[in-house]
Amino acid sequence: MVSSPIFRTVGQPLRRKEDERLITGRGQFTDDFALPGQVWAVMVRSPYPHARLDGIDSTAALSMPGVLGVYTGADCIADGLGEIPHNPVPSTNFDVKLTGPGGGPVFIGSHALLPADRARYVGEAVAMVVAETRQAALTAAEAVEVTYEPLPWVADTVEAARPDAPRLWDDLPDNILVDSSFGDAAATEAAFARAAHVVSMVARIGRVTGVPLEPRAALGSLDAETGRYTLYAGSGGAVRQKHELAKVLGVEPDRLRVVSLDVGGNFGTRNRAYVEFGLVLWASRKLGRPVKFRADRSESFLTDYQGRDLVSEVSLAIDQNGKFLAMRASNLSNVGSRCVSLSPLSKGSGLITGSYDIPCATLRSRAVYSNTMSTQAYRSSGRPEVTFAIERLIDKASRELGIDRFELRRRNLVKPSQMPYQNAVGSIYDSGEYELNMDRLLRLADWKGVPTRREAARRRNKLFGVGFANYVESSIGTPKERADLIVTSGGIEVVIGTQPAGQGHETSFAQVTADLLGVPFEQVKITLGDTDIVSAGGGTHSGRSMRHASAVITLGSADLIAEGKKRAAGLLEAAEDEVAFEDGIFRSGASNRSIDWFELARLSGTFRIRRDNEMHTPVFPNGACMCEIEIDPETGGLEITHYSTVDDVGRCINPLIVHGQTHGGIAQGVGQALWETCFIDPESGQPLSGSFTDYGMPRFDNMPSFATEIVEVLSPTNPLGIKAGGEGGTTPAPAVIMSAIEDALAEYGPIEITMPATPLKIWSAIQDMRRQQSLPTGIKGVA
Amino acid sequence: MVTVSMVVNGTKVDKEVEDSLLLAYFLRETLGLTGTHVGCDTTQCGCCVVHLNGISVKSCTVLATQADGASVTTIEGLAHGAELHPVQRAFRECHGLQCGFCTPGMIMAATELIDTHPGPLTEEIVREEMEGNLCRCTGYHNIVKAILVAAEEMRLPGRAAAGD
Repeated sequence: MVSSPIFRTVGQPLRRKEDERLITGRGQFTDDFALPGQVWAVMVRSPYPHARLDGIDSTAALSMPGVLGVYTGADCIADGLGEIPHNPVPSTNFDVKLTGPGGGPVFIGSHALLPADRARYVGEAVAMVVAETRQAALTAAEAVEVTYEPLPWVADTVEAARPDAPRLWDDLPDNILVDSSFGDAAATEAAFARAAHVVSMVARIGRVTGVPLEPRAALGSLDAETGRYTLYAGSGGAVRQKHELAKVLGVEPDRLRVVSLDVGGNFGTRNRAYVEFGLVLWASRKLGRPVKFRADRSESFLTDYQGRDLVSEVSLAIDQNGKFLAMRASNLSNVGSRCVSLSPLSKGSGLITGSYDIPCATLRSRAVYSNTMSTQAYRSSGRPEVTFAIERLIDKASRELGIDRFELRRRNLVKPSQMPYQNAVGSIYDSGEYELNMDRLLRLADWKGVPTRREAARRRNKLFGVGFANYVESSIGTPKERADLIVTSGGIEVVIGTQPAGQGHETSFAQVTADLLGVPFEQVKITLGDTDIVSAGGGTHSGRSMRHASAVITLGSADLIAEGKKRAAGLLEAAEDEVAFEDGIFRSGASNRSIDWFELARLSGTFRIRRDNEMHTPVFPNGACMCEIEIDPETGGLEITHYSTVDDVGRCINPLIVHGQTHGGIAQGVGQALWETCFIDPESGQPLSGSFTDYGMPRFDNMPSFATEIVEVLSPTNPLGIKAGGEGGTTPAPAVIMSAIEDALAEYGPIEITMPATPLKIWSAIQDMRRQQSLPTGIKGVA
Repeated sequence: MVTVSMVVNGTKVDKEVEDSLLLAYFLRETLGLTGTHVGCDTTQCGCCVVHLNGISVKSCTVLATQADGASVTTIEGLAHGAELHPVQRAFRECHGLQCGFCTPGMIMAATELIDTHPGPLTEEIVREEMEGNLCRCTGYHNIVKAILVAAEEMRLPGRAAAGD
């Protein structure tokens, strides 16, 4: 028999195992690795959004000191390099099924390491220079003469979807690669026809980028004796990188080792292979030297996989009692120049009805190519976009119908008694207490104190606004995970294929393992990120890691306990079925003897089990969020004065980590609402957000402290009841900030401000509204 | 090429370097002290903060030759052997780091702030003074908390800061 585990460390805010190395400067980030004889790669990048490559002359560059080689797309073809085998269509059993127009396959543009035909976005690498030093390579890159024939281009999402837009791919009649419809169109139309009210809006959720603070880097080498490649490159999952890059190189996966140890932030940007990863490996083969690449910050802004960029047209049909009848949405996602992931479109598609019981809905999901850097899942992929659409639409409905915004939501929230709840586009919400989340939040945020704070702000000549949003999101992710559990006389090691970039897996996974096996937390070690040790695994994205890790570790622990019993039986001189396991001890009732894991390994030798698990069922973290802001009407300057969230993460393994994840998630969502944008000049197609001087970041002095509360409604879908944490900070944030701005400016009337809501936009909106209403300056009602 | 001499984390070093070599890369690539990180090229992110003669500098904007004759402390030199500096301890205790990439610069900048700020620190002062360091993971919440906790500890008599 196996008794149920005693949770000693699960649920405790244990301090992280990874911190000691990181606070003493002993982390192992990609650029920290150096190999003897290493040389440097620098990219020559296209200055045009779209241009035919009519020739690349490297003569001058090759004659410069220290230059070892200049490589182009033609060289990639001549060497038979493969393309990066992106697999962008989400394919678990529960992902919505995206197709090409007419139901056909989705056209995926080729992604060679270097293009031979055209450059399709500003910043695309068209040649690589390798030299003895980075400085020599940088200088030589300036001397590579590329003959470009500029072509018509399109960057804007809506423009790119027009039938007459400049085309990126000759194989497509236009730029549309996905066009799928979901839900019950007939029922939806009927509901709209009988609705008392219809509210509509167009939500534009612009392009942002993840900005992990460690610029991406790669160090590739080929061991001439063994014929094996090694790549040091931080990513969202070394196993995936190994398989995809092996295909690019045309070698068996076991000929490539990928090492991804400490990763300085990811947020989705690192979840797909970068061309430079393949290029340094290829160059190391050609030159017989290790080759390193390190992006500078401007390269990161231009060519890290970017995020969001969705236009959503939404309408809601409402009856005379304020009950939602039906929803109609049309979502258009800009994938950039190559389709590397449709996750943002797919995940959003399954959640258009948000936290509300809306009986029917219809949705058209489209994706479009454009002359921009590719988009990828970015923190809380797809969910902030659709949460923004539904929550802003409900605020608008509340205004138009004259129903209090909380009351309107309460009338329509999915109730706990409806769980599991299948929404109108087929997603099955596993569990949650949506209305209770609102109540908890109103307490946490001191809703009762709002009138006092509003009045205090007015006395200081500030416009005061309260923003609110509910959210539900989905955590799906790659369905397979593997764990190796190894018992030695000194401790237990778990080798697993997730890839943290700050989420603390070494700590929270050790907590789970320690409690399941009844051993001290200190004696559990989690090993990640080196494909010579980690043989399989799905990496880290979509809030999958804690859920998948805990599930496979739970299954593996049961196997390990069975193996332990076998071994203990011999040592305890008992029959196997007489050995009981409880709280880390194997005991024989008959012989009245016992033994622990480490003694067992000491006496019977190190032992290990390998467990694979496949888990498709998604979970649906949910919550509610409120913020208070103050706007100076004379400058448009905005200060966030309070920010509160309630997040149902299912079982919380380590609240210290989960709260921290939520804080960071909030900052990224707020950043999108207020400052961040990958701005492209509409005249030239040039990205103008190329450094920290022109991309607005959340900073110490523009962010508040947060009040975050964790709710644990266990999910019935996995052994420990885990949902996911962290991304819930991001999901409602853009909606809640824009809701607060609207509330602050309500006395002037409804506003139209697109994100990011910079002080200039807010100030201009105030001036426009004052002009329209011939209002005097100053705040209404304030002397 | 030019020869530079300086004391780094208490050890004298003499190296011949390119005139254009930045202090950040001198530390990382010449000396192998990879705890100092570089996160941008415009002196914005603060990942590379070290102490030059006890004062915080962004080492990506200092030439190695400018540090000739100086004393440099990096994140590797902050602890006293196995005893962590109070700011290091507070970052761990308050979960003031996630990926850890900005952390060395944060800790070095915070240490100097606490050491040099006249009077007690408040959240507002910390947020204003630390504005030159960026973090993408924490939303700053727990970093602010960590700095205030460390400042409180370092103010206590008999608990003088290690390092520098």
